[in-house]
Amino acid sequence: MQSNRLGWILLAPTLAILFFFGVLPFIYVVYVSFHQWNPFAADPHMIFNGADNFRKIVFDAEFLNSVGVTVLFVLFAVISELVVGYILAQAFMKEFPGKAIFRTIHTLPLIMAPIIVGSVWKLMMTPSIGIIPHYLNEWFGITVNIGTSPVAAFTTIIIMDIWHWTPLVTLTLIAALVSLPPDPFEQAQIDGANKRQIFFHITVPMIAPAVVATVFIRLMDALRTVDEVWMLTGGGPGSATRFVGVHIFKEVFPKTNYGYGSTISVIVLYLTIVACWLLYVTMLAPRNKKD
Amino acid sequence: MNTVFKLAASALALSFAAGMANADDAFWKEAAAPYQGVTLRGVTESSPPSLYIREVLAPQFEELTGIRVDIETTSWDQMFDKAIKDMEAGTGIYDMVYIEQDIIYSYLARDFLTDTTQLLADHPELKAPTYDEGNFTTFADYFKGSNGHLYGIPMEAFIKIYLYRTDLFGDPDIQAAFKESTGRDLTPATTHEEYTEIAKFFYDYGQKNNLQLWGATVQGHTGHPASWYEYVETIAPTFGIYNWGIKADNNYAASVANGGEMNSDTAKEALQWWLDLRQYAPPESNQSTWTEVGTTFGAGRAAQGLVYGENAGWIASDPEKSLVVGKVGVALPPLSDGVLAEAEAGEGYIGYYDGGAFGLPSTSKNKEAAALFLEYIGQNEVQPDWAVAAPRVTNTATYDDPKVQDMNKELGGYYDMLKDKGYLFAGAPAYPFHAQLREAVAPTFYKILTGDVSVSDGLDQMAEIAEATLTELGYRK
Repeated sequence: MQSNRLGWILLAPTLAILFFFGVLPFIYVVYVSFHQWNPFAADPHMIFNGADNFRKIVFDAEFLNSVGVTVLFVLFAVISELVVGYILAQAFMKEFPGKAIFRTIHTLPLIMAPIIVGSVWKLMMTPSIGIIPHYLNEWFGITVNIGTSPVAAFTTIIIMDIWHWTPLVTLTLIAALVSLPPDPFEQAQIDGANKRQIFFHITVPMIAPAVVATVFIRLMDALRTVDEVWMLTGGGPGSATRFVGVHIFKEVFPKTNYGYGSTISVIVLYLTIVACWLLYVTMLAPRNKKD
Repeated sequence: MNTVFKLAASALALSFAAGMANADDAFWKEAAAPYQGVTLRGVTESSPPSLYIREVLAPQFEELTGIRVDIETTSWDQMFDKAIKDMEAGTGIYDMVYIEQDIIYSYLARDFLTDTTQLLADHPELKAPTYDEGNFTTFADYFKGSNGHLYGIPMEAFIKIYLYRTDLFGDPDIQAAFKESTGRDLTPATTHEEYTEIAKFFYDYGQKNNLQLWGATVQGHTGHPASWYEYVETIAPTFGIYNWGIKADNNYAASVANGGEMNSDTAKEALQWWLDLRQYAPPESNQSTWTEVGTTFGAGRAAQGLVYGENAGWIASDPEKSLVVGKVGVALPPLSDGVLAEAEAGEGYIGYYDGGAFGLPSTSKNKEAAALFLEYIGQNEVQPDWAVAAPRVTNTATYDDPKVQDMNKELGGYYDMLKDKGYLFAGAPAYPFHAQLREAVAPTFYKILTGDVSVSDGLDQMAEIAEATLTELGYRK
């Protein structure tokens, strides 16, 4: 009983912070999402408009486009990071000369703020003066201009995201791989299982919780990507990289469309929860059921 | 005898000036006495004029008065975000906010700003003897409310001008080649056709001679509002399309069908002309905002360009940043027939008069102390060094200062143009929905830039979106 009370006392500050900085703002956003509110409209006050904003969102081509490009971005970025991260994690499980240095360098992008990453990549990608377009043109005769080519802009953002966040995936997977017990692997080898069978039937199921946790983190991060994209392309060319985070930013800040912007935020939060739930159901629920 | 007389007169003048300075110092100390311990906080864009306030004027004021001034310089969008949120929520964090000329109408509509004229009238003890609203140029009119009172102290004012490379335009070989190619002398363009002709000539010249030189700058970012601004504020007016093609006195009509001009044939011609210029512009143009256009010109990569005046200073005179120091001339932008006459008659304008002021939020908790600082930066006395450090002029007397005159020569006569031709330029229209409308039409505008939508269809869509947005905001009935 006493330990229960102590537990609640110790939890209280965290719960209070969560309530004031997480729950309350969320409730406020939901409240605002049912209003028409632009402080620079002829009537700057909040006007209750029921579900009008939610109805409008269904026909908002810009929003729907932003959801589309975001989903594509998340798929490409997260899957690539998972694959590259796993390969690197396996590499770091082995000993090779310069491993410590390489591991440190490989982790460096993680400590960079997204806005800095965006700035650096912008500098590297600017036509004529950027190092990447310069050498692509010099060595391969390829002309890359992220200001005119939607494909180039989109691809660059994915590569930038992979460069920035793969180390996180690698570190998480290294932790998972290190903690695997050796017995099942030895047993499988004795039973004559090949590498592919060991990978799919032992390694993957055993590291699945870590993979799912990593994917959750990256999925949620990728869905709210703003800073890097804002710096690199501003959402362009056209709307090619106007991800949902950028769309919300433009709606809420420059456009000061607080009501509608809140509605989009609520919907995006809902979609994120659904995506995470689907992922959980697909990857972990069958395993839990089996257990 | 004559020399003795001159020395005596100089000594007398010096002692008079010193006496005046002491008297002025005494005013600041006395006026600031009740506000000791106060810290003023301001937020502004990280631009050369603002940095001068932070690095020079704020410390000077602090030393003189004992009132601490913290100036936060940040990015353009962050600056607005912070200022608007503070004033909207009424938190009173900021005592001074940067008011860009185009946002003043939104701020006035929301009563965000303090009437500084009234504040000083109500508190005569705060009125500095060296501060006078009459010292400002006519640019100050943009910061006046309907009562004629000032709601912001002008701190920077520029015109977006036509810069050209005097070394290239004055080269006899290039002149001869141009004459042979076009049949006319190489002089700064006065019409759009001439401007394109020059752009094409220098583009070909750069290609032929394997130079990193292109025909013109274009502020054509495909995902940043800078490109939209270049079109509506700089290009469209030179074709006679004013105020973004919206008729405020006709129920904010934007489409031709309803009496607006946003999608008129002339507007389409203007946009097409500008888009066509991109073929002669450096490759980075489609990622260029206002800053990058200045950088492109300063790097010597364009023979001519339409450049914000705030960048003209370092382009023309800072050898650490610019490769074209001493090689820059200024001219009026190229115009369609009749536009200059309309501007001279006050019925139109030929380009953008850009700038901003420091305003005092209604929510400030230190209005009196902040008013003192605003007066301080509005004095004639602090202007010349400020104008040399960052090419901005807000006070009429600044033009005549010897330092500014010297700078004017370095800038190829930019200050003369600002003084004599400034009246031909205009700030943004008096719309309280500036950013809201911009963001509504910008996605379509970017699609025009990328070629996803044609100029004609795109402007038709923009006019339709503009009217729908203005209806939703409650301005269009």
